[in-house]
Amino acid sequence: MTAWRREITGDVAAFERIMSQCERRVLRVALRLLNNPQDAQDAAQEVFLRLYKHLGRLDQTRGYEPWLYGVTVNVCRDIGRARRRSVALADVPDPVSAQPDAYHHAERAQQREFIRRGLSCLGEKERAALVLRDVEGLSTEEVAGILGTSENTVRSQISTARLKLRDFTGRMTKKR
Amino acid sequence: MTCSKLETDIALYAGGDLPCGRIARVEAHLAECADCRALAQELRALQSALRDEPLEDALLAQVHQRVMAQLGGAGFSLRGALAPLLALAAAVILAAVLLWPRHHSGAGSQPAAASHAAQAEVGRGAAGPHGAAPLARKVHHRLRRAPAAQPGPPLLVQFVTDNPDIVVYWLIDQKPQGD
Repeated sequence: MTAWRREITGDVAAFERIMSQCERRVLRVALRLLNNPQDAQDAAQEVFLRLYKHLGRLDQTRGYEPWLYGVTVNVCRDIGRARRRSVALADVPDPVSAQPDAYHHAERAQQREFIRRGLSCLGEKERAALVLRDVEGLSTEEVAGILGTSENTVRSQISTARLKLRDFTGRMTKKR
Repeated sequence: MTCSKLETDIALYAGGDLPCGRIARVEAHLAECADCRALAQELRALQSALRDEPLEDALLAQVHQRVMAQLGGAGFSLRGALAPLLALAAAVILAAVLLWPRHHSGAGSQPAAASHAAQAEVGRGAAGPHGAAPLARKVHHRLRRAPAAQPGPPLLVQFVTDNPDIVVYWLIDQKPQGD
């Protein structure tokens, strides 16, 4: 909070400290929502520039995290819609290796890729709810507050998203 | 209750999101249904896998640098925006310095004395500074002679005061010259 107060008075170094505390979370969410490193970087940059601009006007009693997550979701949605890029489908790593460690590594990489693809297949709202709940570990109440919806809606979105993702990864695994 | 009707609740249960009032029913079903237990297990594994996304430090560092560069750029822009104001302020100060002798020519004013001395110098040509204030050391130059019947070239008058930091240049337009 001290850093926050200093930032309000225009201390860029204090802002940088705030950014250092939360940049990993913002970029992680952006990556999960956009499934493209360059887009995620653009989104994170935009989020922090907005944070710098609005920091003095934020409700300090609530902290900046809900605002930050909300802006991240919105910025990612806008970038995703504007660019309309086809999902970056990288070649799925082939888990063919004689060494157990390499096999395990490749298997995990493959699973990650399936999850990336599966997330891309979800609707915007389902994906946002799932990422905030399951990746960031926020409560359904917090997710509802960030997304501006009810807890019941969030529960419906995350249960649907989990089942869809499980079906998708299951189909992909069987294919191979 | 059939498995398909409980799928949604199992998905919530696996993530710890099922409201208390519905937990008992789901747990009772899981106790007797191996397929749904497997489903719950898969959903939990998927949740762990969702968090298992490595984040490259290079990506983070790039974002950090880009944001700070933008903020630095904003700082430069601000200075750029202030530059015209600073230039205007400097011009006002310069004008005040230049005009001060003309409008405040009270006795004892050194710049005023210098100004009058120099003007007298210009008016008399090279006749010499009769009665000129000792503070002004004079100098005036005729830049170049204009052709006949053409407006004369401006005269450049240099006022030198005792203060070495204050040198005033004065350009005087000349009327067209006859013969």
